[in-house]
Amino acid sequence: MRGLAEDDKSSLLGRRITPGLRIVAIVVISIILMMVDHASTSLKPIRSTLAVATQPIQMIAELPGEMAHYMGRYFDRGQLIADNEALEQKVLLLQARLQRLASLQAENERIRALLASASSLDQNVLIARILSVSPDPYRHYIKLNKGSTDGVFVGQALVDANGIMGQVTDVTPMGSRAILITDANHGIPVEINRTGLQTIAQGSGKSNELRLPFLANNSDIQVGDLLVTSGLGGRYPAGYPVAEVTSVVHQPGDEFLEVVASPTAHLNRGREVLLVWTDNTSDPVAEAQAESAGPANGDANGNANGDTPAP
Amino acid sequence: MITERRVSGLLILATLGGALFLAILPLPDALSAIRPAMYPATVLFWVLMQPGRFGLLAAWACGVLIDVIYGTPLGEHGLALAVAGYAVIRMRELLWSFPIWQQSVLLLPVFLLYEFVLFWIDGVTGAEVNQWWRWLPVATTTLVWPVWASLLERIAELEVG
Repeated sequence: MRGLAEDDKSSLLGRRITPGLRIVAIVVISIILMMVDHASTSLKPIRSTLAVATQPIQMIAELPGEMAHYMGRYFDRGQLIADNEALEQKVLLLQARLQRLASLQAENERIRALLASASSLDQNVLIARILSVSPDPYRHYIKLNKGSTDGVFVGQALVDANGIMGQVTDVTPMGSRAILITDANHGIPVEINRTGLQTIAQGSGKSNELRLPFLANNSDIQVGDLLVTSGLGGRYPAGYPVAEVTSVVHQPGDEFLEVVASPTAHLNRGREVLLVWTDNTSDPVAEAQAESAGPANGDANGNANGDTPAP
Repeated sequence: MITERRVSGLLILATLGGALFLAILPLPDALSAIRPAMYPATVLFWVLMQPGRFGLLAAWACGVLIDVIYGTPLGEHGLALAVAGYAVIRMRELLWSFPIWQQSVLLLPVFLLYEFVLFWIDGVTGAEVNQWWRWLPVATTTLVWPVWASLLERIAELEVG
């Protein structure tokens, strides 16, 4: 129809000469782009601009799930009542525990004050809603509805009622993206609660598995051991549960144990998470240090000056 | 044939938007693993059907958009889509000579190539996932192609008359 003849001709001519050249150029540009993006943060502005542009379609994609969620609420009254009762009981239980905790906290702070420690146990939290999980089943990311206008920052820790979930990696004004501890690219400094042994738990890419690759054969670790954050690296607040050891295998001839743990946080269930502000992460100096340390396993010295009690 | 007509840019954008919606619609893990790659299939459809209008650069830009949404290194999906698009362009005359349902057999290696480029870049950037079910979308995309491509063709025919 319109201008078909010349269009086709030029494209015919173009096809003979350009696609080969063009693909070479695109490959080169892509590789350079990926290298820059992988190695530095200089492309972050471009990425967040584009991310804002794609937000509408992502919101639309969320709609069916959201609708099903809310429709379910309308129609399932019995379930709601049962939930409500269960929650009330739980609140009662937790409040009872909280009373004890308050006195323990006061005691702990007194003792810490005696030790002249700078750190405090005060931690602020903010509830954020999970907008979406990563559409790629091999990358464990979630999107949250709180962004820089709420004070969310890159590197902020994410917890749920049962333990550490992950950390924030990108922040836009109205939302943020967080990597989960099970992503293959993520590592978290932990200690074994029973013995205090320090190690690093790496994500495995499976949603219910963490690996502990750096434990020597003679390490004291058993199935059932609880791993808690050690606070080293300055990213995660210390003392939160991370995972429970599910298997310890020693391959004869190997120098390291094969230890697998399963996260205590409910990573693929629930719609709400808590964003944690700790006192040392809101400190700009510590934040800058954590920033330069990279997400996986930051520098242990980063918060050593602020966090460890003086001898 | 739709290849000889000029389809409006708006229609192309609308189909890409629809495919993107299907690509990021949240699904349970088990379904997500076999989710057909509708968005790349749509991009490749336009590369195949609109020569001189929807080329490698457009395919690359579509891929970069996916990188932004998935949080992969910028250019990863762009590169994969451009390489797959190049393969489609090389096979174009051959593909045109077959009905759509037979095209999927020829496109299987193209989808495989697309997935392989992603697998390769994931490995280089340290996000390697080496599990056999990673390759399942190649099969499901091939199966879905006849339906999806003829649907797109029908829509395009409705528009250009």
